[in-house]
Amino acid sequence: MRALSLIQRFGAFALVLAISACNRSTTAGAKPTVALVVKTLNNQFFIDMEAGAKAAADSLGIELLVQAPEREIDVERQMQIVENLIQRKVSVLLLVPNGSREIVPAVVKANAARIPVVAVDTRIDAAALTAAGGVVASFIGSDNEDGGRMAGAFLVERLAGTGKIAVLEGVPGHETADARLRGFRTALGRAPGMQIVASQPANMERDQAFNVTQNMLQANPGITALFACNDVMALGAIEAIAAAGKAKAISVVGFDAQDDARKAIAEQRMSATIAQNPREMGRIAVITAHRLMQGQAVASEQPVAISLVK
Amino acid sequence: MIARTTLRRMARGREAGTLLGLVLLCVALWIATPFFATTENLANVAEQSAIVGVIAIGMTCVILTGGIDLSVGSLVALSGIVIGVSLQRGIPLVISVTLGLLAGVAAGTLNGIMITLGKLPPFIATLGMMSVARGAALMLSDGRPISDFPAGLRMIATGVIAGIPAPVLLMLALYAFTWFMLTRTVPGRYFYAIGGNEEATALSGIDVRFWKTAVYAISGLSAGLCSVLLVARLNSAQPVAGIGYELDAIAAVVIGGTSLLGGTGSVIGTLIGALIMSVLRNGLNLLGVSSYLQQVAIGAVIIIAVLIDMALRRRVQRSPR
Repeated sequence: MRALSLIQRFGAFALVLAISACNRSTTAGAKPTVALVVKTLNNQFFIDMEAGAKAAADSLGIELLVQAPEREIDVERQMQIVENLIQRKVSVLLLVPNGSREIVPAVVKANAARIPVVAVDTRIDAAALTAAGGVVASFIGSDNEDGGRMAGAFLVERLAGTGKIAVLEGVPGHETADARLRGFRTALGRAPGMQIVASQPANMERDQAFNVTQNMLQANPGITALFACNDVMALGAIEAIAAAGKAKAISVVGFDAQDDARKAIAEQRMSATIAQNPREMGRIAVITAHRLMQGQAVASEQPVAISLVK
Repeated sequence: MIARTTLRRMARGREAGTLLGLVLLCVALWIATPFFATTENLANVAEQSAIVGVIAIGMTCVILTGGIDLSVGSLVALSGIVIGVSLQRGIPLVISVTLGLLAGVAAGTLNGIMITLGKLPPFIATLGMMSVARGAALMLSDGRPISDFPAGLRMIATGVIAGIPAPVLLMLALYAFTWFMLTRTVPGRYFYAIGGNEEATALSGIDVRFWKTAVYAISGLSAGLCSVLLVARLNSAQPVAGIGYELDAIAAVVIGGTSLLGGTGSVIGTLIGALIMSVLRNGLNLLGVSSYLQQVAIGAVIIIAVLIDMALRRRVQRSPR
């Protein structure tokens, strides 16, 4: 009876052995290994980043490990992944932090193991990092604040300087969305006729954006434009706006230039979005890793071009 | 009586089986990658298992009584936010942490009252609490994470005593205590009895309502303790922390051989279950397995563990009483 249960258990771990056998051939090589840890791999943005990084790694003869937690909000699981990759003794760690402050202890651990850390897309909180004695070799990413300014300037022009604006914020405390918001507010600040009448977080999620937008439309019937800190929320918002029969009256601007958003702009359901270039971020990140491995200097800030899509 | 001894022996046999599973997994990884069997990595894995390990202690007690607690992930967030908000208001560290733990205990007690006095199924009561506690955490924190905790709290995550990381020591101490409570004290035996046959336990004069409420309070407390570890580890309390932890905790309990129907299982099995999950995740990271395949592998291990559990139970039922 017990013997049988042992056999069953062997089954479970034969699975692990099989998986490891599959991977052994790829990890056993003497190629230098670079790790790219992104926020999650169920978002097209990071899948594009992975593609750009992989293409660069292949051409440079670098072995690239790409890992991510299941959920974008899971800071702790991302920390575990980073800790595990430090144990894996990767040569360089390319990191898109889920929490700009929370990831700091893991960065310090990588520093202690002499693994250079490169922040991609999202910054690591400079004050928290300095306080903990950590360093980042480089930051590669869009200037999100500039993107927010672009979105704001576009709306100021489109509405000829006067309008009631609603804003869908991202996950509170997340650096990228906060930067977009800062830039957007700066641009509106230059146009006294532009007034933000509602600003609420919808956590970068489509269904939350739908509900929040419905509520904002109820409370402020005069809204003439909406800015969402990402396209996913903008797409939720245009549905809510269409359901309220106000599609013609409200200009919606998103951020990220996802395929769905580009399609909505082509169909004139949405006004504009800000295009980032995750593929380029991935490419530059791997090239930076390559330079670091060869002991070459890298720039501490490497901006990746952004553009307005309308 | 004979049936009971058989059951106990089965539970013990199952623990041995789970332990063997862990050993086999470690051997497989030791062969597959040179990075696994280093002292540093093993300490790393043990430390990583502490978060789910601690929360799974309370879950084991709940599941032993035949219940379930889906609210623990949200309670982790609520406790953490209570600690953070208290510290922001200038309340001393020890009192803030106590308040955080009390928040967990209070929510857990409320779960227990809804289940015993309100006669709600545990699944429903704790599902409701899952949402209530998450909302409360978001309200208290205004949706924003709270950062920068005192060094004293950070020590819980970063401290090393006699070469062992502090979170691991804390986890092991809690497991030792719970093992003693479950196997050597009257309340512990009540939990098994309630899970085995609630009616018979009530008829024998035991205050089932009280002890069932207590078990959810214990679960709330273990969520609070988990939250202290998490806050110390991230130097941040987050209203969105702990999402999905209830499922990780249930998985650790189930892999550890505790029956979801209650009455059989052990907290030592849960510890091994939590370690299996951490070792598996660590190993898959070390091997550079794709994140998608990792989810498949972890799910497969949970399913196989439950299959074994069910196969064993059928044999127990068939064996003569």
